[in-house]
Amino acid sequence: MSDDLSPRERLLGVLRRQGADRPPVICPGGMMSAAILGVTETSRCPPPAAHHDAALMAGLARDVRRGTGFENFGLPFCMTVEPEALGAEIDFGSLACEPKIKTEPWARAADVAMRPKGAVAASKRAGVVLEAVSALKKSDPDVPVIGGLTGPLSLAASLVEPMNFLKGLRKDRESSHRVLDYVAGQLVDYAAALVEAGADVITIADPTATGEILGPKIFAEYALFYINKIVGFLHSVGAPAIVHICGNVRSVGASLAELRGDALSVDAMVSLKNLKAKSEGLVAMGNLSTYALEFADAEKVAGAARLLKRQGVDILAPACGLSTSTPLANIRALTGVVKDGGREVCASRFISL
Amino acid sequence: MSKLELSGGPVLTESPPGAVPVGVVPAGVVSGGAAVLGARDADASREDLWLSLADAVVNMDEDESARLSRESLRRRYDAYETIDRGLAKGMERAGRLFEEEEYFVPELLLCSDALNAGVEVLKPSLAGAADGEARCRIVIGVISGDTHDIGKNLVKLMLASGSFEIFDLGRDVEPELFVDKALEVGAGIIMVSSLMTTTMEGMREVVRIRDKRGLKDVVRVAVGGGPVSQAFADRIGADAYSPNANHALRLAGRLAKSMPGRPDRSR
Repeated sequence: MSDDLSPRERLLGVLRRQGADRPPVICPGGMMSAAILGVTETSRCPPPAAHHDAALMAGLARDVRRGTGFENFGLPFCMTVEPEALGAEIDFGSLACEPKIKTEPWARAADVAMRPKGAVAASKRAGVVLEAVSALKKSDPDVPVIGGLTGPLSLAASLVEPMNFLKGLRKDRESSHRVLDYVAGQLVDYAAALVEAGADVITIADPTATGEILGPKIFAEYALFYINKIVGFLHSVGAPAIVHICGNVRSVGASLAELRGDALSVDAMVSLKNLKAKSEGLVAMGNLSTYALEFADAEKVAGAARLLKRQGVDILAPACGLSTSTPLANIRALTGVVKDGGREVCASRFISL
Repeated sequence: MSKLELSGGPVLTESPPGAVPVGVVPAGVVSGGAAVLGARDADASREDLWLSLADAVVNMDEDESARLSRESLRRRYDAYETIDRGLAKGMERAGRLFEEEEYFVPELLLCSDALNAGVEVLKPSLAGAADGEARCRIVIGVISGDTHDIGKNLVKLMLASGSFEIFDLGRDVEPELFVDKALEVGAGIIMVSSLMTTTMEGMREVVRIRDKRGLKDVVRVAVGGGPVSQAFADRIGADAYSPNANHALRLAGRLAKSMPGRPDRSR
């Protein structure tokens, strides 16, 4: 039996808490890019060229979806679009290596020279992403297009030398807030452009903003505040937001309850079952270990995915950024579990609707 | 194991002010009551100063750390001892607080700044002592392909508070560079960090190149980082694995002591 809902309806249904026939399986792009070697080696739209050309970027997104079985398009394939637009120097990498920050342009938060409002949205590479989003929206209206944002702390730490940036969060709060307010404003404008171009969902991934690095107080003062600011804007324009928090969340549990995202995506060491038990109505996304995806065999991956399904995961996804050398067979094992399992849940699929 | 060791309270009992046991006073000094008292007072005030210095580091107070270090010099206390029993003790305490999740990365970085502020003051008076100390040299870096260096930097700053000389190669470092540098500076330990599964394999290369150049018994390789485990370290033939920065400090001490045919360079 085929699935009754389109992938877009299913994902939006889950994010709007309207229920769905089964959990969607997605990989949202940005930090969590699914452009693995198993796809890019045979793609006619390979990176790094695909980072700079809208037609190639859209083509690669289609190849990724076809190859992996993920039920979405996830753009872009890195976390460097916003940092580059705000002054960071980028190493665009290769097939095997995603683009990364070569140098952070400023030593301290107090030194950051701010660019005009809307600088990210108006940048050349944001233009590539926006054009690719529009193209995908037009060519495949049933597939949700997810626009990936580099989270505010990660973006700030791509502009300011990271060690100094982290110290500044305690030592120079005024400058830190000034920079975070600036980058959050830039992200809001860019998110608005993504939604306008046709992105159905926005993901905010902020790997610098982990509880393990920041601790509960700084997480609440900065990460929670600025991520919520962006999510608040997205809600005002009717776009759902997925927020991804890396690492162990034990120390920041109180803040997580206040995060306003429509879905919370967490790392592999977090128990989705406990997370859901603690917070009623939480739409939990995740969290198949990226190590398992890379190093285990397909059967083990499928087993882990089935376990997540049994535990009530709302959106099945990798736990964190995928290694480009993750075997395609393992990704297919992950995506196959919900699709093949569609039959199992047919009887109950209308209950939640 | 380490938790038990940590919760045992050595933090607070290590150097309680004024609690210097009589035995500490050198026997020769015990010639008269006044002399004994004077020596005890001197010891006590020295211990007090060291404790305050450690507190300044734990409290992330750069100015206080520099001020007390100047005070230590003014009182003609030994600069090396001031670092070792004051500043470094504070950094050890900060490391424990980090392990216990009382402190996080920003706090640990600021403690390190406070430590360095004191060391800067004391350094000029160290020269003589430092020459006599053959400090174990450590080459450290993040493996090629990987630019995540927060963990590496934490390890580095913990080590810098101990008796090691650190050569930091930075991030995104080719495997052979670790070995080249170790040879160049005569390092006894190479520490390699990685946060990505894609780049972990480069660590195996470091071990392979070291062995190929016949340095297996001369240079120890320790690995660490998010995806790395003891099992992985064993698999690639690394000598040691460390799960966090504070552990790395203890580990480096052990490795330095275990160097065959070498004097105990861990102090």
